[in-house]
Amino acid sequence: MARAPTDSAATAVLVRSAGDNVLAAPIAGFLAWLVPGLGHLYLGDRTRGLICLVTITATFWTGVAIGSVQGTVDPRERTLWFMAQICTGGNTLTAVGLNAVTKPKPATPTPGYIPAWLSVDVGVHYTGVAGLLNLLVILDALSRAEFGGKRDPITVLKPKGDP
Amino acid sequence: MNLALLAIFTTAVPLGGAPRLLLMLPLCLSVAIVYKTTRLRNLRELPVAVGLLWGTIVLGMCGVGVGLWLLFFLMV
Repeated sequence: MARAPTDSAATAVLVRSAGDNVLAAPIAGFLAWLVPGLGHLYLGDRTRGLICLVTITATFWTGVAIGSVQGTVDPRERTLWFMAQICTGGNTLTAVGLNAVTKPKPATPTPGYIPAWLSVDVGVHYTGVAGLLNLLVILDALSRAEFGGKRDPITVLKPKGDP
Repeated sequence: MNLALLAIFTTAVPLGGAPRLLLMLPLCLSVAIVYKTTRLRNLRELPVAVGLLWGTIVLGMCGVGVGLWLLFFLMV
């Protein structure tokens, strides 16, 4: 039978069920940086991990497709944006590799004048936002690893004296 | 096949005018999906929560855009 909340519940202690595995948080954080959502998959949260993987990867590569890899992922010309993009490590490193092995091609000719920077601007925003979203996912994976896999940090509060 | 796939990522898509602004919608959707995925305890609530947040972001950005446009219009 569930106990009614008492005053003793206010003096709650935090139960860290994943405290035994010291390496869980760094591994989850690194995997989440390398591939979006992989940290959650490592922690056993498959649905959450797959949603993050599909959404962030699709956002990043949509940006690259819009603005071209030469225009969007450029550590020298767009250093600050690159700092945001590198938060989704695997995708950005792949894009940098692709940038190194390919040569820029001009956009297909269209009637009227459309400057190329418009596409590049949109692409940079997409890839930068994807990187910052992955930063959020990395922090979430670290938090879940610290407080025990799928559990939410708030739900693992347990009143003192409870068995 | 591989070269055609590579060309997608090496050739910029020509964009201009209003269609460029519409690309804000999927980007806002991505933000809403990832944010709500990390925040929600029960992922069954995800579609409704994402729809609400997406609508809020888009309406908020449109509101800011209209506000700035009006400010610019009044100042000129």
